[in-house]
This record gives sequence, C-alpha cells and structure tokens, in this order.
Amino acid sequence: MTQTVLTEEAAADPGPSSPPLPRAALWRRLRHDKAAATGLVIIAVMVLVAVFAPVLTALEGQDPTTQHSELVDSAVGTPLGAHGGISGSHWLGVEPQTGRDLFARLVYGARISLGIAFGATAIQVLIGVSIGIAAGLGGRLVDSALGRLTDLSLAFPYVLFAIGLMAIVPDSIPRPLVLAVVIALVAWGGTARLARGQTLSLKTRDYVAAAKLSGAPPLRVARREILPGLVTPVLTYAALLVPSNMIAEAGLSFLGVGIRPPTPSWGQMLSQGTTWFRPDVLYVLVPGGALFVTLLAFTLLADGVRRILDPKNTEVAP
Amino acid sequence: MRKIPVFTAALALVIAGTAACGSSSSPSSGKGGQAGSAAAFDPKTCQGGTLEVLNQASISKLDPARIYTSGGGNIPSLLFRTLTTRNRLPGQEGAKPAPDLATDLGTPSDGAKTWTYHLKDNLFFEDGTPITSDDVKYGIERSFAPELSGGAPYLRDWLVDASGYQGPYKQPEGIKAIETPDPKTIIFHLSKPEGDFPLLATATQFAPVPKAKDTGVDYEKHPVSSGPYMVATFEKKKTLDLVRNPHWSAATDPLRYACPDKINITAGLESAVINQRIATGSGQDANAVTTDTTVGPDQLAQLGSNPDLAKRVSKGEFPATTYLAFNPKVKPFDDIRVREAISYAVNRSTAVNAAGGTAVAGASTTFLPPQKALGYQPYDYFPAGATGNPAKAKELLAQAGYPNGLSITLDHEADDADNLGPKLATAIQDALKAAGITVTLKPSDDSGYRDVTGKPSTEPGLSLQYWGADWPSGGPFLIPIFDGRQIIDSGGNFNLAQLNDPAVNAEIDAINQITDPAQAQARWGALDAKLGQQALTVPLFYEKDVYLFGKNIKNAVPDGWRGQYDLARISVK
Repeated sequence: MTQTVLTEEAAADPGPSSPPLPRAALWRRLRHDKAAATGLVIIAVMVLVAVFAPVLTALEGQDPTTQHSELVDSAVGTPLGAHGGISGSHWLGVEPQTGRDLFARLVYGARISLGIAFGATAIQVLIGVSIGIAAGLGGRLVDSALGRLTDLSLAFPYVLFAIGLMAIVPDSIPRPLVLAVVIALVAWGGTARLARGQTLSLKTRDYVAAAKLSGAPPLRVARREILPGLVTPVLTYAALLVPSNMIAEAGLSFLGVGIRPPTPSWGQMLSQGTTWFRPDVLYVLVPGGALFVTLLAFTLLADGVRRILDPKNTEVAP
Repeated sequence: MRKIPVFTAALALVIAGTAACGSSSSPSSGKGGQAGSAAAFDPKTCQGGTLEVLNQASISKLDPARIYTSGGGNIPSLLFRTLTTRNRLPGQEGAKPAPDLATDLGTPSDGAKTWTYHLKDNLFFEDGTPITSDDVKYGIERSFAPELSGGAPYLRDWLVDASGYQGPYKQPEGIKAIETPDPKTIIFHLSKPEGDFPLLATATQFAPVPKAKDTGVDYEKHPVSSGPYMVATFEKKKTLDLVRNPHWSAATDPLRYACPDKINITAGLESAVINQRIATGSGQDANAVTTDTTVGPDQLAQLGSNPDLAKRVSKGEFPATTYLAFNPKVKPFDDIRVREAISYAVNRSTAVNAAGGTAVAGASTTFLPPQKALGYQPYDYFPAGATGNPAKAKELLAQAGYPNGLSITLDHEADDADNLGPKLATAIQDALKAAGITVTLKPSDDSGYRDVTGKPSTEPGLSLQYWGADWPSGGPFLIPIFDGRQIIDSGGNFNLAQLNDPAVNAEIDAINQITDPAQAQARWGALDAKLGQQALTVPLFYEKDVYLFGKNIKNAVPDGWRGQYDLARISVK
C-alpha cells in the first residue's frame, strides 16, 4: 500500500550517475531549505518528547497505565468535564472508560511509534544494502537470484503477511522488537533495488576497478569502495521509509495485531477513538494529529534531501 | 447446565441472540418509557405493519433440533411452540415458565423423576395438520441425531438410557424413556430427579415436528411452523422473512400477541451499523429492532443528552456473571491467602468501566447474579469496596510468604467482543499493581481460549471467565462450575476450580429433587454463599442489557427471563 508507492517512486529516482555529495555540503544545504529544516525541527522535537516521556509525564504528574474510575461517568464511561476531561492535571483529558491520562499515553506512544519506525528502518537498510551490494557485485546468477527474491518481497501483500507473522511469534519475545523485525522483513525490497543500482554504477568507476585490480577481496571492495558511495542515496531513501514504517506500525496496532495493551501506541489510540469520536472528536484528533505531523515532517525532510541531491536542481545555493 | 455456556451458544443460535437478558431485580429494569406504554397497550388492536429485525449473528441454523436457546429464543419462538415457554412478563415474575402447547407446567411423580404433560385442544401445524404428542416426541428424538447436533445437552443426560441414542434415522424405534399413551399425553422418565424440567421444556427441542414433513438436514429450509408466523423466504446467513401462519390461533396461545403482519430479519450487520440505524430511524428503520446487539458506547453516551433516544431503550438483565477464575492446582493459587489477597485487591469500578459503565454492568461480589429466581443471597467475604483494598491484600500476601509482592499471569481473550479482552485485563492488571502484584497479560484467540481454559491439563492459574444461565435457576449457574462430577478432562470443562467436594455434590443432588422453586432458590443461594468462602472465583460484575428500538415500535418490554424485548409482543402500528 503506502509502503509500495513510496518504495517504487524513490527506488526509481536517484540516478545512478549522480555523484555522491559530501555529507557536510548536504547538511549545509539542508539548513537553508526551509521545508526540510522545518521537518527536521519537528522530528527533533518528537524524538526529544519520546526520549523524555517519563520526565514530561512526571511534570504532569501522571502515568500512562493508571486507571482513574473517578474521572469518568460511572454509568457510561465518558470522561467527566469538558473536552474529554481536560484539566490542569490532565493536559489532554482522559481516555473514555479507563480514565487513563491521554497526554501520558500520547508521549509514551511516541516512543513506540518512533522507536519501531527507526528500528524497522535500520533493519531494512541493513538487509537491503547487503542484498543490493551482493547482487551488484556478484555474478549474473547471484544477481538474478537476489533480483527475483527482491521482486517477491516487493510483490507480497505486506499487511496480510505481517498479520500472519505476528500471530505465530511466541509471546516471550518483546512485542516492539517483533513488530520492528516483521515490518522490516516485509519491506526491504526497495532499499535492495536502490543499493543494487548504485553498486552497478559505482562498480564501473576507476577507483573501484583499481581496488579490484590491486587484489582486494570482494568484501573489502564492498566495504571500503562501494559503501561510502551508497550513504547519501540510502539515507535519503531511509528518510522516506521511516514514515511508511510508522504507518505500518499504526496500522497493525489499529487492527489489534501490533503493540499489546496496556502499552500505549498511536495506532491503538486511533482505533479506540473510532468508537468514541461522536461524543468527542478529540479522541481521534489527538493521536491522528500526532501521526500526521510526524509523517509530514519526515516527508518534508526526505523531499528536501532529494531536491538538494538532484544534480538538475540549481535553486539551492551550494 | 453443562458444557456449553450461553454466550457460545449465542453464536450457534440461529438469530435468537441469547446474549440478552433476564430477570430483573434491579430498580433499573422495567422502568423507562416502555413501561408506561405497556399499561395502555392492547394486544387486540395491535395488528398490522412490517417489523424489521437488524442482527449481527448470521442465520446459520433454523432447525428446532439444532438451535440452542434460553427459554425458546426470540425469533425461534415465533415459529416453534414448545411444551412450556417463558411467561414473557417483565421483572422477577418473568423468570418463571408458563404452559405453551401443554395445559400446565407438567405433573411430577416418583420424586421428580417422571414428568407428565397433556396437550391443549385445537393445536395445528401451518398446513392444518393437528399437533399430537407423537410429533413432540419425534422432535426430541431428532435432536439426538448426530447430523442435527447443536442443542442443549441436558436431555441426553437426563432421560433414562438415552445417552447412546443416535436419532430416529438410524434407530426408528425411538427413545423408550418418552411415552405417548395417547395423542394428547406425553410422559418423560428421567434417570435422576430434576425439579427444573419445566424450565428445560421451553427449549426448541420440545417443539413438535411432523414426521411426514421431516427432510433431515434440509428440514431447516422450511421448518413446519406451530407458532404465529411461518417462513416465507429463508436465505441462509442473510435474510429470513416471516408471514402469518393461518392455522395458528390466539385462543390457544395467550402469550404471543403476534402484532406485525410480516417480520423481516436481516443478518450479518455490524453492531455499530445496527445501533446507528435504529437510533436514526429513517424510512423502514423506524420499525426496526434487534435481538442480538446491545447498545454501543456511542449511543450510550448520547442517552443523557438525547431525550428522544432515551425513550427508545429497553433495559433488562440476562443472568450472567463475569469473573476471575482460579486454578488452585497451579501455584501460587493453591494458597487460599493468595486467592483472598486478589479478591481484596480487585477494583470493581475500573472493571465495570471496562465493560462500558454501570449502565451495562453492575459490580457484584457474589457468583450468582442478583436475581431472586437464581436464589441470590448477598455476601462479601473479602470486602474490596468500590476501588479495592490493596493494604489488606498486601497483608495477606505477606502472611502467605510474599512480603515483596508477587508475579502472576492472567489469561484473557484477544479481543473485547465478549468483555473478556484486553480492556478488562488491563483494568485488573492496574488494580493488582497497587497491591504489589505484577500481572503479565496473556491473550488467546477467542476460539482457542476455551480450548486452553477448558482442559484441566492446560488450564492457566488465573483467567477471565463469563457464565450465563441456560434458564433462570441456580442449578444451571452453579452445577457446571462447582459440581465435581462435571470436571471433564478431555476439554470443554467449566469447573475451573476443579472442585470435587462430596458435600457440595450431595447438596446439588438434594436440591435437584426439589420441585418447589422457592425452596430450591433458598438452597441454591445458601450453596453459593458457602462456596464463596473458598475464594475459588472473584466475581467482578453481572450483566445488564440495554437495547434500542425504532421510533414506531410499541410495547418493547424486556421480559424477566432474557432481559430483552419479545418479538412476539412488539407492535409497529
């Protein structure tokens, strides 16, 4: 779904001929690109919120799992007070039925959403780059075998596959880890394609040929000559993978096969909100808004990076 | 009272939606707009119109042999008359049976081991053939056929030498324990005294089936009606349209008013869609009701601010308890102090909130729901108050050798559809945390959950459970849960405490011999109060059922048996 769309688009984009841009230059240009800089700031704030979730909830004086039966209407479970019980001690109100603090759940949910998204992206990049370089450097047989494997992973209906995988994983493994691995396993294909294309173009460069001729073993060639050239395009692509992984996590948690209660997650909060949005639309707006803003930030950043790296682009001053 | 809980049965149930209702001792039931209209309601002038029924459960079975009902069900009871039926009265009175095809509730003899019934005069099937006692006997015999399974298991247990009977197709000689000396008389011989027999005789297995029209498994395509309506069209799992049965006579059936001319049942809808359609009530939906969908949190939250909607709710109580079940064979629950500590620590306020609030669940400290028909006697041996007593729980844990707290696992269902899911489990987890008990949650798929908890060899130490009665009496509530002879090692066990106490078993046998309901009630209640001291379960809350009905619906009064309005008494005129 979203995953595939982003994958296809980005995989086709970075031309194999674009020369690798020095990281320092990329950073400098990023700061001058307004949209990308905005995205970066928002992401930084979200990461800080996630990291300091215990501090923030301590400031508020709440925690994400304690149930407050005194804060909801005992007859029907709706929060007491206006706008879902917003007050000085409950900044975003409380959850219907349980009376759990929504702000605490939101900031702790950021940990899950960002943690799983980053974790899954790291695993995807690891798998994708390894397979991509192996395909690019290997012989025709290896290339076509790995190519078919990549095609297969891209063609797989990932939601169904992920639901199936989640069902058979034993309970003893921590759920966030399982989610990150499952999401990564079903969506590494785009990275592999990108890495393969880049490897194929780098392979013909003189310095790579020189290394090969001087007798460097393939692993060393891959690590010392190819890998540095992959960093910028893969990082750009990874910036697009993070939001799509976030959607995947939210989607699976929404469907009830992701993060398990009582651990808060934005997807789960959204799913809860769908039964309660008529009494108070805030239950959908809060987690939905957090998800939207974070996704938008990542998209802005990735777009900016791509724009800067595009050799045809002359708008941005060097 | 045996292996199948009512809510599982509800799935198998045609359309009837057992998840409904029951007697009401609480002040909430019987009140509301419908009570006032009931007084002015005249069954003689209510005829006409089309009633729409919007349901979730798909209509998968329509054979009276295969339907599992409480009191004959709601929709099945429109087609099938039975020896006795629920009396359809609101409140506590409604938990009693009334004669239907029979002239009375049955005559017990031989210490409640023999029950004799006489049929009324002028009873006819939809084709005009007279109904005889042989038809009733044949209907019961069919329900023993393996290909027509699905009904309650009691008869197989209760009738003399019937446990191995394979149905009339393989064994046309029939069941010897049922005698029909003449076309109006039927006599049942039971292997043990059963004072509750008139309550069981409300089940659809006691509906007459004409042998000449029986087509085996295809019979459900057009079951021959003995009730006020008959099948016009039936599309399995989708729709069932009923029209009037011309050979039914109100003179022989004062309980069913049969007001609408037609009843159209649509199945397979989403619960949120059903409630939204009935609440909005546009077009035909103004004539709509549901027999299996209680009101959702969305409409419940609106009831306070929407007086029009608040007038269109029926409030009843199906006798059912949601509870924590201990397996005392598993450590640390072998220690009664640990079980007591957890009983003290539970927070019934958050537990009730997890189910949807006090509008749909009531906190309870007794295993029997608070209904007179079940024999309810109040007790609270481990007072947890509204929100738990963690201090007392810690004290008991320290005595039991856990001064630094305790880690346990709670098994629950993976989704909240039966109120045994993550919502309730996290409420329990949060409450026990205050008492120093760390709870790990272990969800199972709904279908797999019963397999795990119902087999003593795999039964977890602590699990969320639900029990509803097949009929409003203490027996079907206590026997499957606490009778030692009901422990089933192969699976499908509900005696989760695995209690096998000769004194308890003997008391159960003694109460079963009593044919006076008032006497039996007192004994069931005393037994429940005695069992409560052992802290084998932690009762959390009993069920309350709130149903919406359409704008044009009149006389939607919940009956005391099922807590749900009765289609046979509703009018759309």
